[in-house]
Amino acid sequence: MNIIAYIAVVIFIVGFICKVRVWTKVPAPLKIVTTPAPITYPGVILRMASEVFLFRSLFRGNKLLWLGGWIFHISLLFIVLRHLRYFFYPVPAWIMSLQTIGIYAGYIILLPLIYLLLRRWTVEINSYISNAMDYFTLFLIIGIAFTGILMKQYIRVDLVDVKAFMLGLLTLHPTISPGDILFLVHFLLVLFLILYFPFSKLMHAGGIFFSPTRNQRDNAREIRHITPWSNI
Amino acid sequence: MVSEKIEAPILTGSITVPKIKENASIDQKCHHAAEKHMEKLGFPGVKPVDWKEKALKKMKELLKKYRSLKVYLDTCVRCGSCADKCHYFLGTGDPKNMPVARQELFRKIYKRYFTVEGKVLGGLTNAEDLTEEVLEEWYTYFHQCSQCRRCSVFCPYGIDTAEISMAAREIMDSIGVGQKYCNEVLGKVYDLGNNLGMPGPALRNTLDFFEEDIQETTGVDVKLPLDVVGAEVLLVSPSADFFSAPHVDSLVGYAKIFHKAGISWTLSSYASEFANFGMFIGSYAVMKKVATRILDEARRLKVKRLIVGECGHAWRVGYSFWNTLIGPLDFLDPKYPIPQHICEFSLDLVNSGAVKFDKSANDEFTVTYHDSCNVARATRMGDKPGGQFEIPRALIRACCNKFVDMPDDVNREKTFCCGGGGGLLTEEIMDLRVKGTQPKAQALKDLMESHQVNLMVMICAICKAHFSHVLPHYGIPMETVGGVHQLINNAIVL
Amino acid sequence: MGDVLEVGEKKVDVDEDGFIQKWDDWDEDVANALAKTEDVNELTKEHWVVVNYLREYYTQYKIAPMIRLVLKETGKRLGQDKAVSNKYIYDLFPSGPAKGACKVAGLPKPTGCV
Repeated sequence: MNIIAYIAVVIFIVGFICKVRVWTKVPAPLKIVTTPAPITYPGVILRMASEVFLFRSLFRGNKLLWLGGWIFHISLLFIVLRHLRYFFYPVPAWIMSLQTIGIYAGYIILLPLIYLLLRRWTVEINSYISNAMDYFTLFLIIGIAFTGILMKQYIRVDLVDVKAFMLGLLTLHPTISPGDILFLVHFLLVLFLILYFPFSKLMHAGGIFFSPTRNQRDNAREIRHITPWSNI
Repeated sequence: MVSEKIEAPILTGSITVPKIKENASIDQKCHHAAEKHMEKLGFPGVKPVDWKEKALKKMKELLKKYRSLKVYLDTCVRCGSCADKCHYFLGTGDPKNMPVARQELFRKIYKRYFTVEGKVLGGLTNAEDLTEEVLEEWYTYFHQCSQCRRCSVFCPYGIDTAEISMAAREIMDSIGVGQKYCNEVLGKVYDLGNNLGMPGPALRNTLDFFEEDIQETTGVDVKLPLDVVGAEVLLVSPSADFFSAPHVDSLVGYAKIFHKAGISWTLSSYASEFANFGMFIGSYAVMKKVATRILDEARRLKVKRLIVGECGHAWRVGYSFWNTLIGPLDFLDPKYPIPQHICEFSLDLVNSGAVKFDKSANDEFTVTYHDSCNVARATRMGDKPGGQFEIPRALIRACCNKFVDMPDDVNREKTFCCGGGGGLLTEEIMDLRVKGTQPKAQALKDLMESHQVNLMVMICAICKAHFSHVLPHYGIPMETVGGVHQLINNAIVL
Repeated sequence: MGDVLEVGEKKVDVDEDGFIQKWDDWDEDVANALAKTEDVNELTKEHWVVVNYLREYYTQYKIAPMIRLVLKETGKRLGQDKAVSNKYIYDLFPSGPAKGACKVAGLPKPTGCV
C-alpha cells in the first residue's frame, strides 16, 4: 500500500510538472486573445481570477451547468482543505476551523456529481459528446465521495490509525496501512484519481492558466508580439 | 446551381437547440483545390502515398509551434458549454458541428498518436487511427467551421475551435488536400494583388467610374487616387469594395470622407486587397506573404499612415497580426494607430467637427448593426476594450436618425457569424451557409417586424456578400444589407 | 477537374461550378446551354445585352466589370437615361451578375468576397 501511494504521488507530481513544462515551452506565436479583453496585466489577472474562481465564461454559456460545476469545485476545495488535518500534527487552527464546512461539503458534493452524471446520460447533445472516460471520471469521484461519507457517517474507522499512517507516508517513515477495508477502498480510489490526473482531461486545472485566448493582453498594435520560431 | 435544393430553416421566433441529426450536413463538401492552386502556394499538388506519416509529422510540428493547439487539445472536459453555440449546429443539427465534437475529430487522432492516455486506453478516450475515412471527415467538417470564435467566448478554458480548424486545414494542405475557394483566391493575390484577380487597368477603370458618378450625383470633384507616391494615407480595402453591391457604396463613402477631411490618400494596384485568406487556411507563411505586399507598397508609396477598409477577418489580421508578421511598421507616423480602421478614422473626423452629416439623407432607413465575428471577438478599435462595438455604432448614430441595436444574445461578442466566414463563402455549400444564417436571420426578422428595420449595416466584405445571397432565402430582400460607410456616403455634407 | 457540357456535337470542359474553362470554347449555342444550367430557359434580347457587355469588358480588362458598371452600361444600351436596378439583373439571371451572368457569358467565376 505504501509503495502504491508513493508511485501514485510521484507520477502525479512528475506528470503534472512535465505537462506544464510542455505548455510553457510551446510558444504562443500570435495574439489570439478573445476580445473584448484587458489591455494591462492587472486586467488579465482579474480576468483569469474571474475564470478560475467564478467560472465566468461558463456562467455566460450555461447557467445550470455553471451552478453544478461551481458547487462541485467549491465543495471539492473545502473537502481537500478539510482533509489536510490528516497530514499535520498538530493541526493548524485554520484547518480545524474548516472542519464543519468541509464535512457539509462532503455531502453536498454528491448533488452536483449526480447532476453532471445525469446530464451526460440524458441530455442528447451531452450524451453525444461524452466518452467512456468522462463517465469513468465521474464514477471515480462519486465512489470517493461515497466511501468518504460512509466512513464519516456509518462505519467509523480508526482515525488515529489513519493519521499515523498518513504522517508516516508524509515523513517518509511508512508504517503498516490501516486494515479497514472501507478506508483502503477510499484511499485507493483517491490514489487512482491522482495517478490518472496528469494523463487526462483533469489537467484542465492547469490548462486554464495557459490559454492564450484568456491570458494575453489586448495590445497587439501597441507592443509588438514576437513569434519565436519565425525567421525574423 | 440554382436548381439545387436549398432548404432555409423556418424561422420559429426563437433560437432553439435542435435535435441531433447524424450526418445532416455531411453532403456539404467544399470543392478540392486543383494541383495548380496547391502548388502555387507551395503545397503538394496531390496526396502522396505516405500521406498519413506526413500528416502526423505535420501535426507533431504544429503541436510544438502553437501553444493554443496543444493546450486546447489537452484541456477540454467535454462540459458542453460550447455545444449549442455554433450557428452551423443550430442550423443543421449535425452533431459534428458542435464545437466540442468538431474538436474531437482532431483530438481523437492527437490522443491516439501523441498521448499516453490515448495509446493505453484507446477507444475508451475516443482515440482513433488516422484513416482515409477520418481524413474525409476532417475535410468536410473542418470546412464547416467559420472560425468565428463564438464557442471560445463560452468555454470555461477559452478553447477556440478556430485554432483547431486552422491547424487541421494546415495539415491537410501539407498533404495535398486543400480547399479550392481559399487556395485559388490566394493564388490570385500572389499574381495580381487581390482576391478578385482584378488587374491594375481594370481597377483604374472602376475608380474612374466612381469619380464620374460622384461628379454627376453631387457636382463635387471627388478623386479616388491610385498608386500615388507620397500620399499621406494608403487605404487598403477588401477588393470586393471594387466590385460588388453593396460593398462599392462603402468605397464611395471612404472617398468622400477623405475628400472632406482634405487628407491626401491613395489606393494601390499592387496591394489591392485587405483580405488575407492565409489566416483561414491556418498558414503562417502564406498569411505573412500576403501581408508583406502591403508592407512593401506602404514603403514604396512613402505613405505616413495605413488605413484599412470594411473587412472583418482582415481587421483581425491587420490589428492583431500585422505588427508580429510585418512589423515593426516604424516608418509610419506613430501619432496614429498602425493600422487604423476606417471607422476609427471617420469617427475622429466626426468628433473633431471636420465632417458633417445630413442625417435626414438616411431617413428612409431604420438601421441595425451586425457585429462581424472577427471584429467583435478578435480585435479592438480605439483605446478602450469594447471600442470595436462602440465606434461603429457611434458612427452610425452620427449619420442616421433611426438606429436599433440587436438583442443582447446575438450582439457584440455574442454575435453570430453571418454564415459564410472562415473561407466558406462558396456556392457548393450554399445549403450549409443558408442554415448557418438562421440565428442572425431570426434576430433580423424580429427587428424588421418589431421596429420596421430595413437596413442592416456591417463592416465585413464576407458578411455583406453572404447576407446578400442568403437572406432572400428567408424572404428578406438583399437590399437590406449595407455597409457603415454606405450610410456616410449618403449623409456626408460635401 | 470538373465536368463536360454537351452542346450538340460539341463537348465543352467546365469546372465544378459549371463555368467553361476555355474562353474560345464559347459561342451562342454554348451560351444557351449554360443558360439552362442557370434556370434561364431562353436567352432574350435583354440577356444578350448583358452577356455581350460582359464579354467586351472582359476582352479588354481580363475581369468582369464591377456591378455598377454593369447596371449603368446595360441601361445605356437599352436606350435608357439611367442605370438598370440590381433587381433587373437578378430577374434576368437568378443567381446574380457575378455567377449567373458571368457563367452564361463564358467568363471565369469571379472569386473573393463577392
